Amino acid sequence: MLRKQAEIATDHAAFEAFYRRHVDAVTRFLARRVDDPHTVADMVAEVFMAVLNSAHTYRAEQGTELAWLYGVARNRVSTERRRSFKEWRLASRMSGRRPLDSDDIAKLEERIDAEQPARRLFTAMAGLPKGERAVLELVVIDQLTVTEAAVALGIQPGAAKVRLHRARRRLRGLPFVLEGTLG
Amino acid sequence: MSFEEQILMQMKAEITARANRRRIGRRLLTGAAVAGLAAAATIAMPLLTGSEQAAYAVTRNTDGTINVKLNEFRDADKLEQDLKKMGVSADITYLKSGKACQGNRGDIVGGASPEEWEGSASAKAVRLLPHGGGLEIDPRYVGNGQTLVMMLTENKDRVFGSERSGTQWQLPTYVVNGQVKPCVVVDDPLWNDVDGSGGPPAGS
Repeated sequence: MLRKQAEIATDHAAFEAFYRRHVDAVTRFLARRVDDPHTVADMVAEVFMAVLNSAHTYRAEQGTELAWLYGVARNRVSTERRRSFKEWRLASRMSGRRPLDSDDIAKLEERIDAEQPARRLFTAMAGLPKGERAVLELVVIDQLTVTEAAVALGIQPGAAKVRLHRARRRLRGLPFVLEGTLG
Repeated sequence: MSFEEQILMQMKAEITARANRRRIGRRLLTGAAVAGLAAAATIAMPLLTGSEQAAYAVTRNTDGTINVKLNEFRDADKLEQDLKKMGVSADITYLKSGKACQGNRGDIVGGASPEEWEGSASAKAVRLLPHGGGLEIDPRYVGNGQTLVMMLTENKDRVFGSERSGTQWQLPTYVVNGQVKPCVVVDDPLWNDVDGSGGPPAGS
């Protein structure tokens, strides 16, 4: 697996297989967090670009591909939020924003719409401490196991469990069914 | 094309670009570990057109380095003699597209591993000058009993970089300790891999 992860950054066929396996999940992951089709498409590209940079950090024994990928995607999202709007626009223009046709936009908007409940959950979680919210997001919204969420966040599984437990306790009483797979 | 396909293409282009930046190491690894091929730095360079001029021009810079400006790939023997007069023992071979010299042509300085290659005389002896300025050879990296081996390969079907078009060339080059084996011309097994894609071009 380790070798395969190195290959995804160097071999077209290996990368393509990896990309096709996960591009949909990554798009949905981002559509839960961003509601503009162009930005979602740009960020999908950025996540996979970051995959090329981070392929060497993947360790098979620590979790699934998807957990690792969500970790990469999360980092991209938070980098994005730190970047000012102006800078983002400039960077997009410089790299040549990919033209989205109407089918692309329709598809992306559909995904963004489908993820609306998730975005509402984010709002509900906004008051939680950052660390707890991160675990809860990945488990409840992105459907990772606790162990996978720990991989995505680069923390110990035990710490993730504690944070999840605290977050659930704080959110008790919210009118949302907070379900996730424990593992 | 859907945005997913566009992104995939963009990523593949990026992988290719990164592979080209890693070429020296890759060639070494492939060469040493797999096929016993020449360990070589591959530099793309444009060939200037205009056949009225001499095949090449050699000048010495004040810092002791030597500039070689190639106009046409002929008179390799004469260029070797001129370089010899300037203190560099060189072995120059001109090759057609898709051809390479078979195997390593001697005991390559820095040829044991990519780590050793980085910073070795082989990696430093020849530098490609920007803007079609030709090559710069640094005689300090070619010691007594050593030979600078340069294999210049015509690469008509590839364009390196967006700012240059026209005929491009590859220049595998390294420094060899002691005797240099003559070039046995073979089909270059890595030729189709020149863009780092690891396979034939799309659609083929």
